[in-house]
Amino acid sequence: MNISPDIVGNEFAEVSIRIDDEANSRRLRVEDLKTGRVRFLDALELETIVWLPEGNLRRLLDPSSDRWREDA
Amino acid sequence: MTEVTDAVGPAGRPSGPAARYDELIQPRRVHGSLYTSPEIFADELQQIWYRTWVYVGHVSEIAEPNDYVRKSIGPQDVIMTRTADGEVHLLLNRCAHRGNLVCEADAGNSSSFRCPYHGWTYRNNGDMLGYPFHQGYGGRNKLELGLGRVPRVGVYQGFVFGSFAEDGPTLEQHLGEAKGEIDRLVRLAPEGEIELSAGFLKHRARANWKLLAENETDGYHPQFVHASIFSVAESGIGALYGEKSTAVTRALGNGHSENDLRPEFRRLGVPLGWFGTTEEKVPNYVKAMRDRHGDSGAEEVLIEGAPHVMIFPNLFIAEIQLFAIQPLAADLTVQHVTAVQFKSAPEMNKRMLQQCVGSVGPAGMLLADDTEMYERNQAGVAELRPEWLDVRRGVDREEIDERGLTIGGATDETGMRGFWSHYKHLMTEGRVR
Repeated sequence: MNISPDIVGNEFAEVSIRIDDEANSRRLRVEDLKTGRVRFLDALELETIVWLPEGNLRRLLDPSSDRWREDA
Repeated sequence: MTEVTDAVGPAGRPSGPAARYDELIQPRRVHGSLYTSPEIFADELQQIWYRTWVYVGHVSEIAEPNDYVRKSIGPQDVIMTRTADGEVHLLLNRCAHRGNLVCEADAGNSSSFRCPYHGWTYRNNGDMLGYPFHQGYGGRNKLELGLGRVPRVGVYQGFVFGSFAEDGPTLEQHLGEAKGEIDRLVRLAPEGEIELSAGFLKHRARANWKLLAENETDGYHPQFVHASIFSVAESGIGALYGEKSTAVTRALGNGHSENDLRPEFRRLGVPLGWFGTTEEKVPNYVKAMRDRHGDSGAEEVLIEGAPHVMIFPNLFIAEIQLFAIQPLAADLTVQHVTAVQFKSAPEMNKRMLQQCVGSVGPAGMLLADDTEMYERNQAGVAELRPEWLDVRRGVDREEIDERGLTIGGATDETGMRGFWSHYKHLMTEGRVR
């Protein structure tokens, strides 16, 4: 069963989120609406994000850390 | 009086920072070029808007962590942010790379801003987070380029002010006697907090910003400019600014001024009379006020009402409306207008919003009346003769009150003279060279 998505957006990013029930347990489906890229986040991953220290989250937000890398 | 036209150049039109403000601003008159000269406007930006404390916004506009709103200091595009830890910052809306605007939306919630041009990303406190394809800069964390910041941010009773000067008077020193007027507004809120949550209207006027600032506490014009709306609404406001009124115009120092209508309201002795309503119509609000201030305290607060104060150079609180004056050119100004809202006072908030829309909304009467006058003034003052504008009304009947402040009658130009005295100080002795 898929629940209709909600959109979380501002002028910098826009993603649709919904609870996905296709797998053996519930997970969050997140879609970057600008590129169509999708990621599923399970409960443990979500819990980890909740506990992520501010500094670690900040490092992930560096645009060259994972997304726009010359060496990727 | 002898005209002193030769003191300011052949055509009476001075130019540049060398403009002789001590001659252009006299006790009883000011020179017309002060409203029309692009050079003087540029000088004002440096000496006033980019130097003194300027009102920017209110903390209630960024109530949640990571909220932001776009504001301004004169022509400067400022983003007022609240970080996750609750700090308020004033950032300049300009990417440190190629100067692109980093923020387009008027308001939003985001921990960071990403420039659309090359993806440079900043935290909402202005610190740089990073730039894509970092090898071109020798690797990660090689640049220390943040967003520009307004160096000093001050908050008084939730009102956020910014100053581009690294040092100078504190916000509280700048506000001086005007603090008490802000306090008077806030004490009308049952929980002692106001909220600017009603949204803003932007009114453009083809006029110099000083015409607006001067008019805000000019008690001489209401009976003429607003006669039709007072008549239609059967309003008693006009009488507050009459020759028999016991209200006073007060110069509060530092260019601030007020129309103190309390003597009239005390004389009438009607709670909420200043707001044109009665206690029976807002029973929950009145009860909350009695709970907070006690019966006699609430009586006094409700009779005396809200302030009518112009805080130099750009914040005007007109009882239940708030205006931020934004100068864009010598002859172009935007007024940002909103209704004051009291925290936890829905009965009053609805009425204050309705009154605000009726008086200064798109089809409102008061601001439309005033704007017509500003634009007629601007057109007229560009005419070459006579060169001066007169500000002498009541100059020979001013008094010093018990606080040592200058007061004049309800219709006197005491506020204007206080404005010009401070302006002259900032543009001459107080100027940054």
